[in-house]
Amino acid sequence: MRRFQTASIPVVLTVFFLLAACAPGPQGTDGESQANDDTPHSGGTLVSAFAVDISGVNELIAPTTAVNDSVLFRIFLHLLEEQPDFTEHPPSFAPQLAHSYEWSEDHTVLTFHLREDVLWSDGAPVTAEDVRWTWQAQTHPEVAWEASYFKDNITDVEVVNPHTVRFHFHQVHPAQLLQANEGVILPKHAWSRKPFSEWRKSRNWFYENRVTNGPFEMESWKQDEEIVLTRNKSYFEEGVPYLDRAVFRIVPDQTSQISQLFSGDLDYITNVPPDDARIIRDNDELVLRDYWSIGFIFITWNNESPLFSDARVRRALTMAIDRQGIVDALWGEFARTTTSPIVDTVWAHNRDIQPWPYDPERAKHLLAEAGWTDTDGDGILDKGGRPFRFEILNHTGNRQREDATVIAQQQLREIGIEARPRLLDISAFHAAVLHGRYEAAVEGMTMATDLNLRYLFHSGQIGVSFNHARYRNPEVDRLIDRADRMKGLEEMAPYLMRIQEIIHEDQPLTFLWFSKRLNAHNRRVHGVQGNLLSQWFGLRYWWLAPPG
Amino acid sequence: MIGFVLRRVGGSLVLLFLVLTVTFFVIHLAPGDPADLLVDPRTPEENRDRLRRLWGLDRPLGEQYVRWLSAVAQGDWGTSFNYQEPVIDELAGALPNTLVLALGATLVAFGLGIPLGIVAARRHNQTADHALRVGSLLVYSLPTFWLGLMAILLFSYLLPILPASHMHSVGSDSLSAGRRFLDLLYHLTLPALILGAPLGASITRFVRNSLLELFGQDFLQTARAKGLSEVRVVWVHGLRNALVPVVQILGLQLPALLNGALVVEVVFSWPGLGRVVFNSLQARDYPMIMAATAFTGFLVVAGTLLADLVHAVADPRVRDD
Repeated sequence: MRRFQTASIPVVLTVFFLLAACAPGPQGTDGESQANDDTPHSGGTLVSAFAVDISGVNELIAPTTAVNDSVLFRIFLHLLEEQPDFTEHPPSFAPQLAHSYEWSEDHTVLTFHLREDVLWSDGAPVTAEDVRWTWQAQTHPEVAWEASYFKDNITDVEVVNPHTVRFHFHQVHPAQLLQANEGVILPKHAWSRKPFSEWRKSRNWFYENRVTNGPFEMESWKQDEEIVLTRNKSYFEEGVPYLDRAVFRIVPDQTSQISQLFSGDLDYITNVPPDDARIIRDNDELVLRDYWSIGFIFITWNNESPLFSDARVRRALTMAIDRQGIVDALWGEFARTTTSPIVDTVWAHNRDIQPWPYDPERAKHLLAEAGWTDTDGDGILDKGGRPFRFEILNHTGNRQREDATVIAQQQLREIGIEARPRLLDISAFHAAVLHGRYEAAVEGMTMATDLNLRYLFHSGQIGVSFNHARYRNPEVDRLIDRADRMKGLEEMAPYLMRIQEIIHEDQPLTFLWFSKRLNAHNRRVHGVQGNLLSQWFGLRYWWLAPPG
Repeated sequence: MIGFVLRRVGGSLVLLFLVLTVTFFVIHLAPGDPADLLVDPRTPEENRDRLRRLWGLDRPLGEQYVRWLSAVAQGDWGTSFNYQEPVIDELAGALPNTLVLALGATLVAFGLGIPLGIVAARRHNQTADHALRVGSLLVYSLPTFWLGLMAILLFSYLLPILPASHMHSVGSDSLSAGRRFLDLLYHLTLPALILGAPLGASITRFVRNSLLELFGQDFLQTARAKGLSEVRVVWVHGLRNALVPVVQILGLQLPALLNGALVVEVVFSWPGLGRVVFNSLQARDYPMIMAATAFTGFLVVAGTLLADLVHAVADPRVRDD
């Protein structure tokens, strides 16, 4: 059943778009002329879609997903608003709940000065007490917030006066500002009535008792159906949001989302697959928005496996896989190869690194150097009687990674290596890679803007976090530890550059690609700022052309 | 008859218990657990362990099973890991939407299946019969997913007359009750048609075949000989007998209808039980999966029981066995 359905999707899409191309587009919009008018217009309802529903209104008991963040960051405020400007330098921060901040001399105390004109939706003022209580909730064991690790370095949050709050840190760290700013500020006066021990079984209570402070308020949430946000009329920024309402309909099927964009039922959709992006780009009624993501896809080699413990072998594997060919086949212009987990659209990318070429002959030579030759003439390399044969894991739900695996499998076969793809459900996949019960796996990761490479490459993270490659290099450990003692991200740069060089030589992972995020909207929608921090970034500045 | 019913109900309960026990162990023994699904790769193992403790997953499996069983015996199906609310509330919240869809689909299936079955039987071996046989086979064989997308293409895009998704229009909360109901019917049409069509196709074929068997039998010849009109012969005397297997089919199709609803709910963004179950499976939400399995198992058992009872009522030889 499933196989049949999957196989039928491209056929359905092709038929759909061939027919759609012959049909008239949505009526009543004069896209070009309106697109040129840059004066924002207030009012109207933007209708967009999510593939899955949100998990509630309380960030601390909801999993960290793009969908949850998309909604919660519109109805709750952070102390500061991180900006998507980290191409040339570390990200900057715009004032949000806090209008300013300052550091102590020794850089272990950070003082925020809060705006005095911010109100909760029930009229109560937002104060420093809310900030302190939010930190207590974030770090409470029974709340078990997924991202509580951000707060590990914070020893106390002190209320100086109702609009001044002080964060005390255990030690200097380059990402202190990000650590303090992580997580939206929650309403103490409304939500402290519910003991922390009951939070994990009270999702609906938080919705029913929602009190928010962002540019939008949540008018309603019908599970698996739609979320309706309305303009917060007492929001402190003059004249915004421009939209009266933003409706997020839950449309699980990607093809349905695209068909609804074409039919005009949806104004904005996100995560368009590359094949459909080309069709949308060629449609005059629609606008394709693309921007480089900071997520990247790679093959993890289990460095503890006798197959992959030699860096020469791992380099050979990288050279045996035509990464550019994979990108061309699967993404076209919407992706690029990368040489580093810090991709080339991020300020700290090491531009001196030259990618390993696609060179099967050199790969064979390196493998021979490491002792892998075909001694028994069966076409598969072997060493000490062991053939070079392994399983390469993928988890379900990602077609491009599966396709990439098949291409890599064929290319490895050409140099005498047999890789057998195996598909697991995501939970089983995670358990296998975390505990090292695998040989190779295709994975994806979004590097957070704190550029903390510890999770990927520090030996202390083996079996704990994302060092699934079980990579151990004392020099890398030392560089990561030293980088972690710097004041601010900028000071990490020399360490990050050197770590990228070592990783390039050692190839614990083979980096495949990083791609563009592809979003699309009709010409009614203006001011769209979707970027690599959020596909709904700055929704308060989006506006709709008036009808007619 | 009562003995027959009691035997069947008793057997069904044992079967249901076995299904639930096997399901419990299979889902728990599969590699990985719900805490592995936290998407933030940096979440330390310590946080995942906190959640495992909170969900009782740190206890030995045997103990988890006994705890679950004793809670269920007291009517407590637990708290959903994914929705963080009592399982029963979540299922009960989504069930009415699925029932609306299933009811609509059943009406479509019978409303189309019975008349078309009669037409096919009356026009035996004529063009209409051939067309209906091929057509019903086609509808029955095509994946619901594909049928749904084609229906959206045709009715929502090329001839934009029906909505492609959801139960209500944007802003329907402000409508009067009557208009809101019409809005619901408007949104129900396409999904009910797509969910009901395969069942309708099988009903068409069953009605046709049953009627063809009956047409040659003596009691219908007698009815004709008495001078009854052909309409009365077919609709009253023929159809009543032909419907017995059809009702049996409905009993057996009841769970299939709800399984089909899962696909239809995804294609048409219909917020029902299928979506909740689908999300729960993806999230390894054990309490939810167990409750949903119990519910589906109950439907299978109840549907089969219904089919058996109908059969027993219609055919005394069955209950005498």
